[in-house]
Amino acid sequence: MASEPQGQGSGNCFPDEHQSLRFRRVSSRVSNQNYPQFNWNSTPADEDGGGDSGPRRDLKSIPLPMSLKRAVRQVQQMQVPVVSSVESWKRKKSKSLCKLKNATREFLYFFELWSKSLQKIGGNFGGGVQSYFLFLRFLVVLNFVSFSLIAGFVLIPSIIFRSAGSSPVNNTGPEACMEYDPNPQGLVVFYNYFLDLLSGTGFMEYSYLFYGYYNNTMVEDRNFSYNIPLAYLFTAVFYFAFCLICIIARMGTAARVAVATGGSAVGNYSMIVFTGWDYGCLGDRATKLKQKNIHYRLQVDLEEERIKKQAAALTLCQKILLYSLRVFMFFLALGLIIAAFYGISEATNFSQERSDEQGILGLIFEYLPSIVITTGNFVVPLLCDQIALIERYTPSTTIIVALLRAVFLRLVSLGVLLFTLWRQITCKGDTNNKACELCQYNHEVYQCWETRVGQEMYKLTLFDLLINIAVLVLVEFPRRMVVDNWSSKLAQWVGRQEFVVPSNVLGLVYGQTVVWTGALFCPLLPLINAIKFVILFYCKKITLFYNCRPALKTFRSTTSTFFFLVVLLFGWGLATVVMIYSLAEIRPSMGCGPFRFFPTMWSIVPTSFHSLSETTKEFLFFIGSQAFSIPLFALSCVVMCYFIALASVHGKSVALLRAQLKLEGRDKQFLVKQIEELSRQL
Amino acid sequence: MVVATCILAMSVVRQRLHDFMRMIQPDEKWDCTFFTRKEILRLHGRYHELAPHLVPMDYTNDPDCKLPLALIVNMPELKENPFRNRIVESFSEDGMGNLSFNEFVDMFSVLSEMAPRELKAIYAFKIYDFNVDNYLCKEDLEKTLNKLTKEELTPEEVELVCEKTIEEADLDGDNKLSYADFENMISRAPDFLSTFHIRI
Repeated sequence: MASEPQGQGSGNCFPDEHQSLRFRRVSSRVSNQNYPQFNWNSTPADEDGGGDSGPRRDLKSIPLPMSLKRAVRQVQQMQVPVVSSVESWKRKKSKSLCKLKNATREFLYFFELWSKSLQKIGGNFGGGVQSYFLFLRFLVVLNFVSFSLIAGFVLIPSIIFRSAGSSPVNNTGPEACMEYDPNPQGLVVFYNYFLDLLSGTGFMEYSYLFYGYYNNTMVEDRNFSYNIPLAYLFTAVFYFAFCLICIIARMGTAARVAVATGGSAVGNYSMIVFTGWDYGCLGDRATKLKQKNIHYRLQVDLEEERIKKQAAALTLCQKILLYSLRVFMFFLALGLIIAAFYGISEATNFSQERSDEQGILGLIFEYLPSIVITTGNFVVPLLCDQIALIERYTPSTTIIVALLRAVFLRLVSLGVLLFTLWRQITCKGDTNNKACELCQYNHEVYQCWETRVGQEMYKLTLFDLLINIAVLVLVEFPRRMVVDNWSSKLAQWVGRQEFVVPSNVLGLVYGQTVVWTGALFCPLLPLINAIKFVILFYCKKITLFYNCRPALKTFRSTTSTFFFLVVLLFGWGLATVVMIYSLAEIRPSMGCGPFRFFPTMWSIVPTSFHSLSETTKEFLFFIGSQAFSIPLFALSCVVMCYFIALASVHGKSVALLRAQLKLEGRDKQFLVKQIEELSRQL
Repeated sequence: MVVATCILAMSVVRQRLHDFMRMIQPDEKWDCTFFTRKEILRLHGRYHELAPHLVPMDYTNDPDCKLPLALIVNMPELKENPFRNRIVESFSEDGMGNLSFNEFVDMFSVLSEMAPRELKAIYAFKIYDFNVDNYLCKEDLEKTLNKLTKEELTPEEVELVCEKTIEEADLDGDNKLSYADFENMISRAPDFLSTFHIRI
């Protein structure tokens, strides 16, 4: 089957093997097929723009049929490059490095989680829905890996050194502040255990789950010392830094694609026509849907054109009316969101005041903030959608505005909850208040305020999972059964559930933000969240395949990944603000936790700093001093300016080349016309 | 029970290591495509089951065996694709859609997720070029659009979309898209790599 290269015979006439390859002609069969002419006989010495080193990579990327590629490969193997020993060693090294990289890639594919499920989802529902599940998988892995950090540095040493070690600071302080009694007195009704599991109180409160159980011990042996409070602090800080690095690394690939392709508004029609069809589409139903989808997108674009023309044709009076309507609707939406915030703060206050209630009623009061937040997050976007109908923006703008509103609502409602808690714990920041005077926090209501905050975050996480499962069982399955079996007009109009990607992603971001906020106070929360997201993956997959019909309006998959990560970054920022404030400003509880008797959590760092060796201290002082940081700042400014200048130069040269291409095309047409005229005259 | 789980886990790991060791052995064909040896063997299984009497199991002597277009477009991955005929024709040497096993592997290699953008763009251009004249003219675009939407657009809308497409992508102003125009437009399309991809 291997076709012998035709020009091989001519190779014998030339002493240099490279030249023999250069004079080889492509077989005549190939030229009939209109293959773009490709200079595949580039030698390793004079590669032109192929990019990758070594003949092996080039062979894969050459657009020739397999038989010719194998022939080329045979020829290339027969050719012995005349190079020095250094170069041949370099080439061997790069070849083995390539092989190693490929082998590692294949090995890692074995460990990829859920890859078959994701393929199936992508084939049947498209890239947008698949990007949601990819995001979910990323969060599961992130939570799991970051939990292993916490486990390694905080949990396991705490378990091992539970009874050993001594306190690094003297136990001083008012007696009243040091009271902390989490264990319930007397007989406990059996169902209380279940209620305690759901709300993190009772037997769960004084356990490794929450901050209050960890001791401020420092273990010192002959040549081994471990400072648990310091480890706790540094692990928390490093956990945040690690999550940030992971998110930015993942954004890097998505951002590169987004930047390289410029704006998305350019070339809408050609994009849809040439890249609209997903070749991975499987199944009869999915393909029919894909066709309807493309039809819909084309119609949407044509519709946007029509709306733009209409908007340009409005009279001044109509324009003023439209803009004033938009401003009014904006304030209305803002008012709705602020009303939701007020509701949350009231619910939190009420719940904290009534925290001694027992039984089912007590449980409801405990979960009241979660309930109000979830209701707000469900009702307000619905109302905002109705408002958006009146505003009459273009379809793409409407989607972006709705998303921004939803993000704002979710993240700031969490912020409102935390702010309300803070006001109660620190008596609105006023240390002269009777309750906060003694210990600088409200020791009557909050004997161990960190545990209480951790419990709130734990309840939010658990409630989120329970609501998702409840909606799945009580709303989505019945809806499908009703729509499938009851053929009335109402049922058909309601129709099957659609898997709406943006709101589901916001739910994930919200859950992850809650976990980040609570990680300082509830070290096991990342593990709980990882398990929760795994359960959520399977629940969402089940509901997708059984209850949902694929959406007609799709979500762009590549820019959307970038968008999800940006929103996640906002959540991370909120959690970081909370963490920094808790570390630096609020006095830790004196009755519990690894930081009792310190004025702030951060103050353990200067205390331990003095026990370091002299050289380390001097080195750290130097790094923090102005003599180091100002030159570093100046250097980074210079580097940034360089890259900005480089980017702008590249952009300008791209624009110049494009204009030149247009000009040359016109020159060609002009010359062709001249030739025709001349030939007519002759 | 713990011991049994350990033994099971170890055997799974050993099997995986075994596969992994076999995979990194170099061989000729594996360098010409983006597939690993294991995947090429799997592809051969798929090719064989399309026509079990025609396709030999032993490929060491490179038998000359081609499957016709009609058999290949019935594969589940290609069955619903509106461009299935053009895809198979673009990868066949005779232009009629008869694929040998090498061309079969080639086709799925280009359509796999590891193929680079430039290579995919070359073949995408060939697929959309219905009259094989190295240009995407208006008729090619009309045929593409009709296959995409199953002829649900009105003729005026088809006309409008074709005009707008050529207007957006044509750089040298000759009212048809050459390969350079097409490649320039594809380089700005973020979804191209993920949509021009068949999983097998």
